[in-house]
Amino acid sequence: MSDLLEDLWAAYASTLGFAMVNAFFALATYATLSAGILSFAAVTYGAAGGFLGAQLLLNTTLPLPLIFLASALAGLVMAMIVAALFLRLESHWMALSSLALVLITRVVVLNTPGLTGGVNGLSLPAPLSMIWLVALLALAVFGFWLLDRSWYGIAAKSVREDPSVAACLGIDPRRIQLIAMAVSGLAGGLGGVLMAMMLQFVSPDTFFIHVAFTMIAGVVLGGSHHWFGPVLGAAVFTALPTVMQAVVPDLQDIANGAALLLIMIFLPRGLLDPRAIRLRRAAK
Amino acid sequence: MDLFLAQLLNGCALGALYGLFGIGFGLVFATMGILNAAQGAYASWAAIIAMYAIELAGLPFPLAALAGIAAGGAVAVLVDQLGFEPLRRFGPGNHQAAMLGALITSIAFWIMLDSAAGLMTGQQSLAFPPGSYPATVFQIGPLLLPAMQAVSLLALAVVGGGMHWLNTRTRFGAAMRAVGWDPVAAALGGVNSRVIVVATAGLAGGISGLAGILAGISTANISAGLGQGLMLKGFAAVVVGGYDDIRGTAIAGLLLGVLEVFCAQYLSSSWRDAFAYALLLGFLMLRPRGLFGGGGFTRA
Repeated sequence: MSDLLEDLWAAYASTLGFAMVNAFFALATYATLSAGILSFAAVTYGAAGGFLGAQLLLNTTLPLPLIFLASALAGLVMAMIVAALFLRLESHWMALSSLALVLITRVVVLNTPGLTGGVNGLSLPAPLSMIWLVALLALAVFGFWLLDRSWYGIAAKSVREDPSVAACLGIDPRRIQLIAMAVSGLAGGLGGVLMAMMLQFVSPDTFFIHVAFTMIAGVVLGGSHHWFGPVLGAAVFTALPTVMQAVVPDLQDIANGAALLLIMIFLPRGLLDPRAIRLRRAAK
Repeated sequence: MDLFLAQLLNGCALGALYGLFGIGFGLVFATMGILNAAQGAYASWAAIIAMYAIELAGLPFPLAALAGIAAGGAVAVLVDQLGFEPLRRFGPGNHQAAMLGALITSIAFWIMLDSAAGLMTGQQSLAFPPGSYPATVFQIGPLLLPAMQAVSLLALAVVGGGMHWLNTRTRFGAAMRAVGWDPVAAALGGVNSRVIVVATAGLAGGISGLAGILAGISTANISAGLGQGLMLKGFAAVVVGGYDDIRGTAIAGLLLGVLEVFCAQYLSSSWRDAFAYALLLGFLMLRPRGLFGGGGFTRA
């Protein structure tokens, strides 16, 4: 029995690890989405955190917590730059701009080999221990839980539902969205360095469109109205390919897409939907 | 000077493909408010079907191209009806939820269609058999114009002009714009929005398919990845041109193609994408409504 468990662990430990790393990106997207901004820019925050973290790991002997902190701050700085440029755009344009930013990020990474290793990327020596990952994710989830219960959480919900009404109630939507971007930057930057350590490798393709789509799919799949939704969604979206490979190896990708499609059509508000839970409770 | 002119022509021919694809992409975004990640796959599918129509069925090139375009349109309608239609019951007032949901289902279709396209081509990069498409080279003064470049430019002019006419001068175009503004209000005004949506999806798929076929010939590369390159640049053309503006998209596509070729020729080929995307970002900052865009307003 314990052998079986060990085998399972060996086979799925990395899936679990990537599920947790993707959870950071999903949380970063959720942070802005919960204030009514659809943004893919967390990929860029991740690149900032990932490459800074990789350089620090390779060239300095800083302790890990400081590296995590520095990477999260790199994400934050990037998020503030993005906020200064993009926050005045309307929602559709904001989404398009952030997608364009992801494309630009890759070109910049490719063409600054001194900082990022260019096409060849950077290889990192030591793997990341699972304990760090669990601890950081727990910390992040705790942070989101606190935010959700705070004054900010309530204000963000109203801005998401209707910014004009929120403004009439005395909430400054711009300020709420700025805070949301800051939170997104921190989570994205941290996710970036964790992704780099998990892969033990960063290259221009580490932070590209597929990450953007993974994280947005994670959020919407898990449920974009609850702080635990993104974590759940990222886990499902990361585990799906592994499971499908075990079940239908030849048509893995097609089965993936079909599963995603079915979940979306039949559970459009995501797997974890606070409204449905409340309704069920009220019915009892 | 000759080199300059020759490269200008190459840039325009490349840009025509971006513009064409962008028109299809923008049509879906303007009419249905959907950021369609599967749009690139329509281009790959159309190119693959057209190639097999020539290789296996032995059709002449124009018929094979038509078959490819029809396949692109059919796939687009299928994606729309299977992936987007079920989400439209969210109705108005839940626009963001519907848009997000459609983005996810389009990602799902992107994954499925790309991987099916990979199976169809055996994960290889194929090409149209030589001699199956017009390969004459016209001589205009010092310039050489291969027939397929001329076809690309002509296609952009015809499709761009035709779509602009359709959009601004016909009842169908008015209905399309009405559905794009508000499907419920359009329905109250007597527009059958489901028909309009299906027709728009088919049109957009066909136009993207045409871009895919032409790109498959000019790059001699037909594979599952064909659509993705087109999609990134087509997306840029849509944003620079303004997503609800067909003229703007066509011109922006040409501009991006010329910019790309000139950057590769005169500056640095590794930074050429950077210039295209910098232009994109600049437009988003300074003229978010595109080349010819006017002012916008929002309702509370």
